[in-house]
Parts: sequence; structure tokens; C-alpha cells
Amino acid sequence: MGTKLKLSGADMLMRALYDEGVELIFGYPGGAALHIYDAIFRQDKIEHILVRHEQGATHAADGYARSTGKPGVVLVTSGPGATNAITGIATAFMDSIPMIVISGQVASHLIGTDAFQETDMIGVSRPVVKHSYCVFDANEIPKIVKEAFHVATTGRPGPVVIDIPKDMTAPENLFEYEYPEKANIRSYNPPIEPDSNQIERAVTELINAQRPVIYAGGGAILSNAKDELFRLNEILDAPVTNTLMGLGIYPATHYRFLGMLGMHGTYQANMAMHNADLIIAVGARFDDRITNNPSKFSPGAKVIHLDVDHSSVSKIIEANVAVFGQVKNSLSAIINQLERKLDQYNKDKLQPWHEQIKNWKSSHGLNYELYKDESDENPILPQAVVQHVYNITEGKAYVTSDVGQHQMFAAQYYHFDEPRKWINSGSMGTMGFGLPAAMGVKFAFPNEEVLCITGEGSIQMCIQELSTCLQYNLPIKIININNEALGMVKQWQDMNYGGRHSQSTYQNSLPDFVKLAESYGHVGIKVEKNSELKSSLEKAFSMKDRLVFVDIYVDPSEHVYPMLIANHSLEDMWLSKDKKT
Amino acid sequence: MIKRKLILIMENKPGALVRVVGLFHQRGYNIESLHVDPVDDFTPYKFIEDQLETKFKQNEISRLTIQTLVSDSLMRQILRQLNKLIDVIAVSNEKTTYLKGVLLDENLL
Repeated sequence: MGTKLKLSGADMLMRALYDEGVELIFGYPGGAALHIYDAIFRQDKIEHILVRHEQGATHAADGYARSTGKPGVVLVTSGPGATNAITGIATAFMDSIPMIVISGQVASHLIGTDAFQETDMIGVSRPVVKHSYCVFDANEIPKIVKEAFHVATTGRPGPVVIDIPKDMTAPENLFEYEYPEKANIRSYNPPIEPDSNQIERAVTELINAQRPVIYAGGGAILSNAKDELFRLNEILDAPVTNTLMGLGIYPATHYRFLGMLGMHGTYQANMAMHNADLIIAVGARFDDRITNNPSKFSPGAKVIHLDVDHSSVSKIIEANVAVFGQVKNSLSAIINQLERKLDQYNKDKLQPWHEQIKNWKSSHGLNYELYKDESDENPILPQAVVQHVYNITEGKAYVTSDVGQHQMFAAQYYHFDEPRKWINSGSMGTMGFGLPAAMGVKFAFPNEEVLCITGEGSIQMCIQELSTCLQYNLPIKIININNEALGMVKQWQDMNYGGRHSQSTYQNSLPDFVKLAESYGHVGIKVEKNSELKSSLEKAFSMKDRLVFVDIYVDPSEHVYPMLIANHSLEDMWLSKDKKT
Repeated sequence: MIKRKLILIMENKPGALVRVVGLFHQRGYNIESLHVDPVDDFTPYKFIEDQLETKFKQNEISRLTIQTLVSDSLMRQILRQLNKLIDVIAVSNEKTTYLKGVLLDENLL
């Protein structure tokens, strides 16, 4: 053994990140992080992306993580740098996205003195992190980094904060660097392989079901269980629905796919869930946007729940069969058992169920041909915008979105055949997520089409990142579905508050988005006529090496339907402004 | 609502206690009493050492007793969420012990 490498705390941090396989850091410098920033300058293995606001850094790292499956890494300074990152950390936490957030902290001897830019980051972030570390001894930096990545990426993933007081990274103090081969945390061992008795019970239920529905969510994507889920349904031939977070885990163009379920789910998906006799929940957690009133949820269904997180099972809806483990492994175990009992499974018995679903679909299914109306007598429909975008990109693009009506239209009308291509803030519902998330995806996949479907409300929450897009030449396509109002808020006000539009319109104060995009060095296109929609979008997507901001003025009165009627069951939906089930 | 006693064995690390307390606070459960001691006699916890293939050392773990008012339906959820905290090694109520993914049908703590 030769002598060990001697490095400062800051250099150890960079080296540990490199040894962990990190390629990109999204961040913003400041006083308490300056030693680390100097270490970044003196190395050339990891690229640092300078954003324009710390929230942008967290969303970009999040987009990178969601699209690649690798953890996103963020570096911010203390005080406002740390607190600005909180919204993005919470967004990742609520959707179980692996992320490492390194925050500078004031020097150890200043902690607790109300020093300049001091904030208790460990305290402020505690409710929205999977775990956090404060560095009290610089020697521990490699071990803490190793543990942080292990915790963030295993079990149910999530963000982990590492708070580093400035003196821990001082250049004058050198330490022997050695990166641990593996993290060993005795009090943390998330389940991987499922219990075989539970698998046995699940298979029995599957064999006996007459009206099964597979309900797959974000957990199935996080577990990379696409092939297993597909194989399982080659055997079962059951209808499949995905949550907002699960879109893409089962091919949307497959004939057994029902579409998204829940608050704005398709008629047939919600009806199938309500009338099922067996629900197979795969990495989904019966969120309130899915169940509507839990006491009225799917009254005749047994539930098989596959999840890696004990505390997600039987939290809202009691599971008849609980299968703890990595969803991928649990599905494999079920497939294994089923394949041995194929003689007991007759998929023909599902025919009446498939007929029923077909009838639901033909009676109140979504209209996927709205884009065919090119008449200027009619306003542009937001749904038609998404349909055009889907057609032009051949359904292959990475699509990020913000939050609101445009998000639901994107989820309903862009058919995702692959997981990790639909990137949106599901549980947290963070406006401002779309543009920085698209940056993160574009850094990960520079040769793929990356677009952001947004609205004029959401885009203004992180609009400053247009500058980052110029600095790093990120040719993202921004599809701004502009209804000159906070559309989802306005929809609720229309439906539940007698049409009183309290603070949901801007009184002619919107910027000229074309000029705004141009001032950041990008291309802006304004679309106001139905007849120009298709050609304008084609033009935007033909500019391969430019960021194009397409500002599309759509029908401001349009609502998102179907929509669940609050506190009722899944079969109680508004189907249009004046029609309900 | 029934008064219940929970016992936790957890890593004696800065921030561990506040994560436990925070979990109660965030969900609106009131803590009636709370007591923490470092553990120096490990003999009652040999089954944990065996299960986790570890050896406890002096001052490494703490024993935490919490009395709280909680409904029956929430009890299991609280136990699972406490068990999910990274620094918590085991948690029990009158009838059950959660030891990192292993559910035991008696109070062993």
C-alpha cells in the first residue's frame, strides 16, 4: 500500500462525488460554499451547471434523476441558498425521487449565533427529506457521501441533505482520503425480495379474479419494472391503468391500456377501478387524487398491494394481500408462480369484463381527434395543442410539464409508451417545475427531443432559467398553453365558487413572451389562430439547435374533464360543463 | 383515543430524537411524556444484534419511551412510520415490535 491521498474537505467532497459516479452538479455559489466552489474549479471530472435560482437547480437535478434513474445532485450555499432549494427538495420527496442536496453552512463556531446567511438547514428541511447529515468532522465526508447516496437511491428513494459548515471544507486542513466500498447502515435495510407466502396468496387471487385491474404508479417506474409488468399482463390479459406518476410504465398505445385514472382520469379507467373485483396495485399508494372518498372506493374489490414502503400499504385502502419488496422483484416472483400454474388460468373468462370496458370507452372516452379542427371560427383548444405535439414528435419526446390544466391535458393526450419520459410534479404540484426539469433532462439526453408543456402562470415561476438555457445551449421546446388565467384555479372557481374569479386573472399584465424569449437569445413564436397551429408547431420543432418558445393563445373557457365529484366514489364524474355520470 | 406507550431503540446520534418528535408533531399527535436514556446493558437486545448482525457499543444506542394518545387505526401507521426513520432500529407497542422490516408479534423492547 502506498501512502493515502491527502485532500481538503472540499476536495474530498468532489472526489467522493466522482467516485460515486456523479457527472453533473446543478448549483449556485455563495459564501459558505466557496471552498467547495474552488474545489470544483480545480477539477475537470464533474461538470457544474450554474442555474439562475436554487429552485431551478433542484428541479433540474430532479428532471435529470427522473429521466435517467440516477440521483440528481445539487449544491447551494447557506441561508437563502438553502431555503430557496426547499420547494425542489419537497417536490422530489413527495414523488420519491433520488436527490443529493449539498448545502453550505456557516462555520461551526458561528452556528447558533445568527451569523450572516445562517439558517438551520437540517431543521428547515427535516419534514421533506428522506434523511439528512450535518458534517461535524471533515474526516467523515467520504463516509457521509457514500451513505447519503445509498439512502437516497435504495428502498423508496428520496432526497438527502448534506449540510457542511464552511470550516469543514477549509483548504488548509488535509485528510487521508479513502472512499468506502459500500455503505453499511445497520438501522436501514429496505426490503428487496418479497415473502413467498404472500406471493402464493397473490397468485391465488389473480387466478380467481373475474374483473381484475392493474393499477401501476410511480413506484413501478422507480423500480424499473416495465418488462416485468408487461410480462405479467401477457399472462393475465387484464386492463391496466396508470397514475399520473406511472404514465409510461405500461405502453399507452396498448389495447389493454385504460388511460390515466383518478381526478382527471378517463371514464373507462375510473369505472373499471370502481367495478373491479381485484385491484393489483403496483408501486402506487392510493393517493387522494386516485381514491376520491376512500370509504366509497371500489366497494367490491380485493386489493393486492406491491410496495417497497411498509408505511404506504394499508394506509388509505386496506390491502388483502400485502407484498413488501422491490416491485420489480415482487412482479418477477408472481410471474414465476403464475407460469407454473398456467393450466389454472383461463384468460377467456375476462371477456365479459373487456366487453364492459369497451362499452364505457365508446360511450364517454376522450376524443383524440380534436386536432383535426383547423377552422379559425373556433378558438384553439388546449387538448388539440397536445395532440399536435404528440403527432409531430411521434410520441417519442421527453415531456416535462408544470402544474394545472395544461399538465392534465398533457397527461391525457400525450400517449407515453416508455417510462421516464413523462416528467411532472405529481404529488407536490409545483408550478415552475417544468422548464428547469426540462434542462435536467436535456443535459442527460442531449440528442433527444425534450419539450416542456406549460402555461403562462407556471412558466413565470422559473422563467429566469431561460438564461441558463442560453449559457449551456439547451434547445428545449417550450409549449406555452396560454389561456391568460390560472386555468385550474379558474375552473374550480367556475365549478364551486359561482364563477367568482378571485385572483386568477392578470388584467392584461402578461409579458410579450416572444420578445421575452428573444431577449434571452431564443426564438419566440406567437400562435393565435387554429389554422396556424400545426404549421407553427412544425416550424418550432424543425429548429433543432434553438430553444423555441411557442406562445399559444387557447380557449380561456376550456375545462379539464372528466373530473371526479368531490367526496363521492370513482364512478361519480363530471364529463363536461353540464353533464355528469 | 387510548393512552399508549411506545418504546424505541435508536442510534444515539444528533438529530435522531427530533426526527421522532417531528413525526408526532407533523401529524398532530400529542406526546404526553417522553424519556430517553443511553443503553448500557445490551443483554435484552441480543435478538436485535443477531437480527442485524451487529454488536452494540457503549453510548451507541438510546432507549426512548413515549406516551401518547392515539386511536387504534393510527397505531400501526405510526409504528411503521417510526420504523421507517433511518436512525430508528426498532419500535414496539404493547403487542408488536417492528425491527427494520421484520414484524414480531410481541413487545420485545
